[in-house]
Amino acid sequence: MGLGFLVPAFLAGLAALVVPILLHLRHRDRDRPMRFPSLMFLEQLPIRTESRQRITDWPLLLLRLLALALLVFAFARPVLKDRRVVGADNRTKAVVILLDRSLSMGYAGVWPRALDSARAVIDRLDGKDRVALVAYDDAAEVMQRLTEDRAAVRGVLGAVQPMRRGTRLAPALRSARQLLLDAPFAAAEVIVISDLQRASAAGIAGVEFPAGVQVRGIGVGSDTWVNSAVRSLDARRVREGDRTLLAVKARVQSHALPAIRPVTASLSVNGRDATTATATLARDGETVITFTPVPAPDGAVSVRVAIPADSLVADDTLVAVVPRDDLLRVALVTPPDMSASETLYLQQALGIGRAPQVQVERLTAVPATAAALARTGVVMFWDMAPDAPAALTSWVNDGGGIVLATGRRLAARRTALPSYAGITFSGLADRVSDRGGTLRDVRAEHALFAPFREAQDALTAVRAWRYPRGDASPSADILARFDDGVPAVLEQRIGNGRAMTLTVPLDNQYGDFPLQPAYLPFVRQLVLHTSGRDAAPLWLTTGESWSLPATLSNPVVTGPTGALTRPQADSAGAAVPLPDAGLYTAYAERASGEPGAVLAVNVPPSESELTPMDTTELLLGVRTTSAESAAASRADGDTPMTVEEMERRQNPWRVLLIVAALLLLAETILGTRGRRGMARRVVPNTTSNVASNTASTRSAGAPASTASRARFDT
Amino acid sequence: MPVAPAAFLDPALLAKISDLALLARTVVDGFMHGQHRSLRKGSSLDFAEHRSYQPGDDLRRIDWRVYGRTDRFYIKEYDADTNAGVLFALDTSGSMDYGSGSVTKFVYGRMLAASLAWLSQSQGDRVGLATFTQDLEEVIPPSVRHLQRILHTLAATTPRGPSRLVHSIERVGLLSTRSGIIVLITDCYERPDALGRAVDALRMHGNDVIVFHLVDAAERDLPGDADTTFEDMESGALLPLKPDDLRSKYQTLIRAHHEALQSRLTAAGADYVRLLTNEPLDRALHAYLDARLTRGRVR
Repeated sequence: MGLGFLVPAFLAGLAALVVPILLHLRHRDRDRPMRFPSLMFLEQLPIRTESRQRITDWPLLLLRLLALALLVFAFARPVLKDRRVVGADNRTKAVVILLDRSLSMGYAGVWPRALDSARAVIDRLDGKDRVALVAYDDAAEVMQRLTEDRAAVRGVLGAVQPMRRGTRLAPALRSARQLLLDAPFAAAEVIVISDLQRASAAGIAGVEFPAGVQVRGIGVGSDTWVNSAVRSLDARRVREGDRTLLAVKARVQSHALPAIRPVTASLSVNGRDATTATATLARDGETVITFTPVPAPDGAVSVRVAIPADSLVADDTLVAVVPRDDLLRVALVTPPDMSASETLYLQQALGIGRAPQVQVERLTAVPATAAALARTGVVMFWDMAPDAPAALTSWVNDGGGIVLATGRRLAARRTALPSYAGITFSGLADRVSDRGGTLRDVRAEHALFAPFREAQDALTAVRAWRYPRGDASPSADILARFDDGVPAVLEQRIGNGRAMTLTVPLDNQYGDFPLQPAYLPFVRQLVLHTSGRDAAPLWLTTGESWSLPATLSNPVVTGPTGALTRPQADSAGAAVPLPDAGLYTAYAERASGEPGAVLAVNVPPSESELTPMDTTELLLGVRTTSAESAAASRADGDTPMTVEEMERRQNPWRVLLIVAALLLLAETILGTRGRRGMARRVVPNTTSNVASNTASTRSAGAPASTASRARFDT
Repeated sequence: MPVAPAAFLDPALLAKISDLALLARTVVDGFMHGQHRSLRKGSSLDFAEHRSYQPGDDLRRIDWRVYGRTDRFYIKEYDADTNAGVLFALDTSGSMDYGSGSVTKFVYGRMLAASLAWLSQSQGDRVGLATFTQDLEEVIPPSVRHLQRILHTLAATTPRGPSRLVHSIERVGLLSTRSGIIVLITDCYERPDALGRAVDALRMHGNDVIVFHLVDAAERDLPGDADTTFEDMESGALLPLKPDDLRSKYQTLIRAHHEALQSRLTAAGADYVRLLTNEPLDRALHAYLDARLTRGRVR
């Protein structure tokens, strides 16, 4: 343990220790005055007072000095430093090897160089130096803690393999720091063996090492790298007559190809080779490879696009999952007297967008048959609210969706609404005079408002002049309100389906919503969400997590490696971590063998970006604790304690203040006791008498005490 | 082993005797034994003269025959009665309570007064006592029968308070209507001139004055070390000093004071005897007897 001070400048206050010493040196021994017959002649002596050069009351002086010193130390904020943190231990050197095993390390020749470098580091260690091995990709795994057993480390090193994952250096640095904190060291070195992709350095500035730790990088990447990677994939269903085909386009990113490169890309669907396409890759840049449409199977379709392997193999393949049907049919049910212009905005808005494509079918009555409903994703009642037939109710319970959108007719309706509306109208809010009502209390976290999470102002700019007032039923979930508190958007779960109710008008007769930028994404997200087909990406990347559909009860998930996972659901639903690239399949516990959901996972595109960073950037990014940097405390609870944090936890200044207070109390008692003794022996006003006597004696050269003066005057 | 007579005059030993009568007799007997002579031989019962009656005189000594003729009270005196009226004036102020050894100035002065009174009584003198601080405290007129009162008063007196030496001497002078011997026992913390003037007044009334100046050895040399705070025993005033540095200067002042006292009091016709409180009492007794023999009868 070492002693430090948070505010060492206060130690200058120790100079004040001179004060009590001087006071004691000047102190007159008044506690024991010598009784003398008369001061008649003493008062005539020329030198009356001189500074005492000798300290007689040592206990009192020591008490005062100690109390003062403790006060100074308390204000200097002392802190007992843990040497494990500051690295001031006389132990051997500790070396932590951080070995990058991300996808990019699979670049030709890189991994053997990395292993060689790691072995070289181990071989260069001195006798009792300790070494630890941490393998990292987008997460860090401690393969071997600090040990002197080099053979063990070499054995572990041989078992490490490149993974199909991304790269994040910061978790590995934190693991190294924790290893060093767990074992005292005199000097330590953290060696990063990696291709040092620039993209992997994000977040390392937040890592702080104890003083005495050196961080250095060993770049094992190629000086020049050539690579082609399938960066993205566009797969959708298209209608060709009665057939549904799957059209796939792949985008291939190339870097530093020696020449344009003709390639034959292959497309597999549901694990079977479907077709190939020939393309010529540009030397640098993007090339789009378009496959001939192939028949699309029913249900969700997994798609894999591969190009011939190059130096980095893992990014030459990309997987995606195309949802079961790429066409969302919306039955728009309108009043018979509604003109086409009234639904123009809505129909046009719904018609825009793909994956899925929305197909609007305008009706004047609810599809009555189950077969007709089966082809429908969403039934949208526009400005009308018919009673729900049994077929519709059953359809919703099975997962269908209903949207009840309010227009001028529905706003004026006084009769009760069907139960799926989730609201009871009680009148009409007229906001013409105050520039219209606006949306407030928008629950941005809801899936309906996912397109607006980055721009919530887009919805609050919507104005409505007239809208129905109503009281929401207890089963309805209010997703947004008007600024006067009237519910604007409501949702009800009905079986496996859902019903949405909008009191905010979707036409431009009672509001300006169709004229706002938010209209298109809102209407589209409205039908996607209501149908249960929120826009989902075709794939995720490793390191993310998969939120399983709520319809899967007690799901079991198989990963690309074949491992089974049983995710535990919580209030937010079940989520599965995605450590590996490939296809993840989720099954319901009582399923008949059909997968409940399929997810494609690919490595982050950044793994294909092999531009290295300079090792000095690594050194600049990582900080070590020093007198200067210690002042910058960080909120990260996983980081080593700074001096301030240690001092805050120890609070030694409180103890010092208490002890100083006790010492001062003792000093007061001692000092008072001495004065009491003196007061008993000395008559009152003695001091003033002495002072006046001294003054008169000096001026007149005559005795000045009362008694003496009386004798002389007689 | 017989004790040397001089040992009885050791102040330290004498101070252990609490009975003043015993002390006085011990001192005087020891002293007389060393002198080998007795002044009693000079005593006489021959008629000397008549004098007016004074309060305190024994009524049996009134000459009733003269009263019958003159209708006035006269005392018939004989030679023995006219030896002297000796009044001992003892300073009982606070400063007399000082003593660096086993004997304070007051104790020494009390022993001295008791011894001299006993001696005077032995010689047939009338003895009286006056104690004073700022003014007269106790007054016992001179009489041949007042010795026990004197001894009792001395035993009961304790020194305290400030002193006004000149004023007290003046009051002592007013006590005696007849000339006699006034023995002043004090530490003489007064300016020599003022003290000399007071003694002058006593002398002008025909009194013989013997001044015993009591000095403690430490008082003469100045006690204390590097830093000492002195407290005035009469006023309580405090004075911090460095005695080590000031001792020689102080001793010069004290010596000058003593010399001035001796010079001034001698000039006034008084016998000035400076006594250290650690000295034997025989020096004081010798001085007293020398003065008695030198001056003879006092009228």
